[in-house]
Amino acid sequence: MRKLIALLALVATPVAAQDFSENSEARPWNLVAEVPARFEATVVDLLCELAGDCPANCGDGRRQLGLLRSADGVLVYPNKNSQPAFTGAAVELQPFCGQEVEVDGLMITDPELNVDNVYLVQTVRKVGDTEWTKANQWTKAWANSNPDAEGKGPWFRRDPRVNGFIEKDGYLGLGQEVDDAFIADWF
Amino acid sequence: MRHTILATALLGLAGAAQAAEGERVQITGEIIDTWCYYSGVMGPPESTTGTAHHTCALWCSAGGIPVGLLGDDGEVYMVLKIEGDDGSASGDTQLRLASHEITADGMLYRRDGLNYLVVEDVVADNGIVNQTHDDWGVIPGFAIPDPEG
Repeated sequence: MRKLIALLALVATPVAAQDFSENSEARPWNLVAEVPARFEATVVDLLCELAGDCPANCGDGRRQLGLLRSADGVLVYPNKNSQPAFTGAAVELQPFCGQEVEVDGLMITDPELNVDNVYLVQTVRKVGDTEWTKANQWTKAWANSNPDAEGKGPWFRRDPRVNGFIEKDGYLGLGQEVDDAFIADWF
Repeated sequence: MRHTILATALLGLAGAAQAAEGERVQITGEIIDTWCYYSGVMGPPESTTGTAHHTCALWCSAGGIPVGLLGDDGEVYMVLKIEGDDGSASGDTQLRLASHEITADGMLYRRDGLNYLVVEDVVADNGIVNQTHDDWGVIPGFAIPDPEG
């Protein structure tokens, strides 16, 4: 009986004791609650994993993807890619749908905000591969999808959908009149 | 006894690997940009909601950052689907609802410290009501281009 209890304790212990910062080469972003984290995981469709709603190929890029961590089965939510450009992580992980990967990046863990397992992915590679892929493909994908986007500057100044909402509702979302009064005071 | 304990332990481990159990909920709150809210990259969380952050919320939603429903209870619910639109990465429905106060009816899944929400019905859409620009200006400060160039 004593041996059985010890065995069960061994099974349970690694879940709480894992340190995923070891060997991480993630670049700091100087965020309040960031912790470097490198780990192996399976790329999953979150709606499929949680609700059993499972189209082919993880939804072909429409959906947010998760990282089901191999060491402990924890579902990590990659919110962000490595570009400082208001860009998410799904585009970076979509090519790895259903595959086992290794990722390196920053985990956000903040008890004050009651948040854990939110992740910024910086690099990804299939388990067994030697070369890392930088998680910075979002803007390139946007440019390919929006070859006719007008104007100058970064994507978020030129995105047709975003600009459509700003034209309709203003920068504050309350209409042009409120915008005009605010802008006169702000600048 | 030994077999009972082992079976119980194995059942527990197996249960942990299964999909989370969903529960039907109705939640009122604001559609927010989760990364800015959680990471602090733009400032304190209250500066990343409402009108002050509306343009950035549009950018982030279009950019494929997950949106969440910041409930009246202070909890964030990660939105995975809205009324049949599973475009949770840069989809049209979530973009249209950026910064809106809505009441959502749907299924809640809790997993590893996060709340995930499948919105089956937007019961109410009150538009943008959280006017934070008087307190915070705009976040980030460059969200509105300088009219002088």
